[in-house]
Amino acid sequence: MTATLTCTGLSAGYRRGHACVRDVSFALEPGRVMALLGPNGAGKTTLLLTLAGLLSPLGGRIDLDGAPIRTGNARLASRAGIVLVPDDRSLFTGLTVTENLRLARRKGGPTVAEVIDYFPRLGERRSIPAGMLSGGEQQMLALGRAFMQAPKVLLVDELSMGLAPVVVESLLPIVRSFADDRGTAVVLVEQHVHLALATADVATVLRHGEVTTTGPAAELAADPERLEQAYLGSAAGAGTAVF
Amino acid sequence: MSDHLVFLALGLGNGAVYAALGLALVMTFRSSGVVNFATGAIALYVAYTYGFLRKGELLSPIPGTPTTIDLGGPWGFLPALALSLLIAAALGALLYGLVFRPVRSAPPVAKAVVSIGVMLVVQALLALRVGTTPVSVKPILPTGALEVGGTRIPQDRLWFAVLIVALTVVLVLLFRHTRFGLATRAAAESEKGALVTGLSPDRIALGNWALSTAVAGLGGILIAPIVPLVPVSYSLFVIPALAAALVGNFTAMGVTVAAGFAIGMLQSEMTHLQATVSWFPGSGMAELVPLALILGFLVVRGKPLPTRGSIVRSSLGKAPRPRNILVPTLIGIAVATVALLVTSGSYRGAVIVSLVLAVIGLSQVVVTGFAGQISLAQLPLAGVGAFTLSRLTVDLGIPFPIAPLLAALAAMVIGVVVGLPALRIRGLPVTVVTLALAVFLEFVWFRNTDLNGGMQGARVEPPSLFGLDLSIGAGADYPRLAFGFLCLVTLVVVAVAIARLRTGRLGAAMLAVRADERAAAASGINVARTKLLAFAIGAFVAGLGGALMAYQQTIVTAESYSTMGGIAMFAMIYIAGVTLVSGGVLSGVLGAGGLMFVLLDRLLGFADFYAIIGGVLLTLTVIGYPEGIAGSTAERLQRLRARLPKKTRAAVPAPAGTAEEPARPDTDAELTTLLAHDVPEGTVVLTAEGVSVTHGAITALADVSLEVRVGEIVGLIGPNGAGKTTCIDALSGFADATGTVTLGDHRIDGLVPHRRSRLGLSRTFQDMSLYEDLSVRENVEVGTFTAGRGDRADAHDLDTLFRILDLHDRADEPVGELSQGRKQLVSVARALAGRPRVVLLDEPAAGLDSTESRWLGEKLRAVRDAGVTIVLVDHDMDLVLDLCDRIVVLDLGRIIATGRPDEIRTDPAVIAAYLGAAREKTEASL
Repeated sequence: MTATLTCTGLSAGYRRGHACVRDVSFALEPGRVMALLGPNGAGKTTLLLTLAGLLSPLGGRIDLDGAPIRTGNARLASRAGIVLVPDDRSLFTGLTVTENLRLARRKGGPTVAEVIDYFPRLGERRSIPAGMLSGGEQQMLALGRAFMQAPKVLLVDELSMGLAPVVVESLLPIVRSFADDRGTAVVLVEQHVHLALATADVATVLRHGEVTTTGPAAELAADPERLEQAYLGSAAGAGTAVF
Repeated sequence: MSDHLVFLALGLGNGAVYAALGLALVMTFRSSGVVNFATGAIALYVAYTYGFLRKGELLSPIPGTPTTIDLGGPWGFLPALALSLLIAAALGALLYGLVFRPVRSAPPVAKAVVSIGVMLVVQALLALRVGTTPVSVKPILPTGALEVGGTRIPQDRLWFAVLIVALTVVLVLLFRHTRFGLATRAAAESEKGALVTGLSPDRIALGNWALSTAVAGLGGILIAPIVPLVPVSYSLFVIPALAAALVGNFTAMGVTVAAGFAIGMLQSEMTHLQATVSWFPGSGMAELVPLALILGFLVVRGKPLPTRGSIVRSSLGKAPRPRNILVPTLIGIAVATVALLVTSGSYRGAVIVSLVLAVIGLSQVVVTGFAGQISLAQLPLAGVGAFTLSRLTVDLGIPFPIAPLLAALAAMVIGVVVGLPALRIRGLPVTVVTLALAVFLEFVWFRNTDLNGGMQGARVEPPSLFGLDLSIGAGADYPRLAFGFLCLVTLVVVAVAIARLRTGRLGAAMLAVRADERAAAASGINVARTKLLAFAIGAFVAGLGGALMAYQQTIVTAESYSTMGGIAMFAMIYIAGVTLVSGGVLSGVLGAGGLMFVLLDRLLGFADFYAIIGGVLLTLTVIGYPEGIAGSTAERLQRLRARLPKKTRAAVPAPAGTAEEPARPDTDAELTTLLAHDVPEGTVVLTAEGVSVTHGAITALADVSLEVRVGEIVGLIGPNGAGKTTCIDALSGFADATGTVTLGDHRIDGLVPHRRSRLGLSRTFQDMSLYEDLSVRENVEVGTFTAGRGDRADAHDLDTLFRILDLHDRADEPVGELSQGRKQLVSVARALAGRPRVVLLDEPAAGLDSTESRWLGEKLRAVRDAGVTIVLVDHDMDLVLDLCDRIVVLDLGRIIATGRPDEIRTDPAVIAAYLGAAREKTEASL
């Protein structure tokens, strides 16, 4: 099966000559969920921004359904089917829930009612301006807005930011079921590692801009030391930490 | 009573135009962040087009083509209206595509300057093509009067008002219910959000611009029968429109329209009162209305324009530090002297005009180039100096040189008035105030026949000193060398003074305020005072220039100091390079009436095109060369200089333990003397109790209490969104927080940031907020503003600090050229320069690789060993666990753990916060 999203030797950053992400390659099949993990500053958000076209890559290429896409153009990427849910959610706070969703409507994509089926809570808050929603509801709306665009690739940046674990635990399965329903490939950047691994099929760990580990999610979930090392450094003292 | 009613109703006409232009302003701002100063000029152009179409001719704006193209017979009202509006929409789309789209990621101030360029071009083009004789247009709306309670009110005004109100309702419905309207509001709020939703902010802006210019055009067309078509008047309609839009915060259409009507009606009433109330000035009261409204509104409400959540990338032009003052000054004096001596007659006159314009240009350098406040009132302020001089010398007989100095002081007083709103607001509203003031001054004083010396203009007594005649002379004697040298001496004194200003503390403070007011406040700079001083100095210099201009012209008339003239002069100075002294001087050479102008006019005969070229060049300058001609030249010279062989730089040195580091105990001792405060270790120096921060429904920080002891390095960590930066913001005064914060013996919660700085609490910012134009030394010196006079770190102390932080061989380089790691160190050094007791570091290791990070850790340890207490936020766990004595862990706004690094590393709550659910779960499953 052709991978929906393929990265080959992708390098990314905010300035020419200063790559925050170096030589990243992976392939993601339709309907598969990849957890993208790693400590802060590792380059996860930079990578997502580049995939979504908000940044131009510094090297390498991105293929969608086997064909290379034009990079560095966010609107094109979104129209082609690569949809990002940014870490700050970027909601239209003055517009209501329905208006936020309506703006994202696509031909052949789900209707507002269908998306609200995924998030019943939103159904009760349709006419409330997005700025007045709680953190969890805002995240639901951000996800919903992405769902409306019938994405081939869904990129979710820090879904759990500022949310209690209980809320996160209820949202991740929804992402999973959307991926299953529509065959969407999902990249989840997540700090709540265990929750992410429970939802994902495959996991990739990024550290200082490079892929240090990649493999089936279940494997990494069964090896907590490996992950703690990546996030908190070695217990023996930072001076001897391996970079 | 009935009289008042009539005048108020009459005012509805102008009020409707202001409302229409206000609507246009809101649309272009919301969709593209541009405050479009050219809105009035565009309305004028469309009105002219309509007027000509009614006569059966199509107006062609392109120079070189015939002014109008004959279309056969005159056109009827509806076809003429339709085509005019179509042309208006096309013009709007064209302006967006060609001019404003290329500058979409520029700061709002730069975009506004571009619109000023467009205003100049449209205006001058129209004046060129159709001349200045008024064009009359047949009435569109029903004329005749309406009887209301015994008074007769003209119908057309009422219809106009009704039409505009109806248009507003249509537009509000459009923006609320159509997809286009929703998309516009969405993109205005968050550009990133629009992009990830598949919307095109570009296309949205294009649509809005077309709609906006059509609305402005409609306003222009409808007012044309009422107010005769004359180039300048319509362009200046933008000022009341700006006032109305400000009241509506550039977002609320209904409020904007209501304000527009109110201004129109008040203006009309004021004109009426001018004629009937004896103590009212004979003119200018109508122009007072927008000024008073803007001032009152801004001072009372004091909020900046809404940020549009847009992605701003570029910055304003750099302001390089003059390397050498003596040599360029001598060269300049030599060149000017030669120019004065070898020329004669009108060419020498042009040289003298250039010298005078240069003085006024330098005033703009201070206000705009250094302090970053776009002021369009410098030429009118010169006018204040000129007219005051006339009174002083003729009526009061005050001699030279006291009279011009007093005149400059008078200008300074008015300049400070302009600066007062800057205490409460920043950015474009300040510009709008200067524009409103310019118009007000023009009408209440310069054109007021009671005050301006009557029709012949205001005379000025020729200057003389100790019997030496310094005047410009007349007839065969004109222009006299003595006067030329008087101007030259004045220019040299002013230029040197301003160059010294740039290199001094006040100049550094101004540049800091220009770059980032927030960071400047955190560095202990009194932002309000700095801005006021900039306006005061700028106004004084402008007044001085105006006095010289008065001597040069011997008669002071309003035309020389008009608002539009001031805008054209601003354009010229910007093109020449508003951030450099040399730019100010160059602007004199380029200015209207100056040497270049006269030369080009004699050779090519193109005086008419001057304003047009100025407008075009201004636009190009902002787009491509923000430093102007002088700045680009300076930059090229700088690059040539950099190519010269230089000693090679060392890479970031390896951490201690290798051969590179010099003996550390020495420098430690020096650093201790530099930074230490005599407080015993273990004393609590910073406490927070019950500190909370909320944003709407979201709690960013909940009930945080902590204690920091002297000599500790405390780490503040937590997952993303935990509230770490919010905590630093709350402690340093950058967030609205509840709860108590104490520094030593002082309660500091409730104090503004620069006060907390002065009491000894310093901080860095995540995005570093360094001033890229300034050198390392200048950046760090800005940090010394926090300490009191006696306590201030002097040059020797700073050198010590640089040596310890390994910045000494780069101390005079512009910060923009350093590596990321070194930039972080400069940021830290700046926070230390004020000798704080506690320094809060927000992600000092951001962007550093592991080697640099360890190196930074060592430097920070040295800083702590010298007696500065450090609170550190960072994500680099290796750094934090290695460096800190104690760690506080936040999650979801609350403290979940505190303790020593080894305790925190193995704390299950911390691990769960970072890695998410239960470690317990996996353990249970085993």
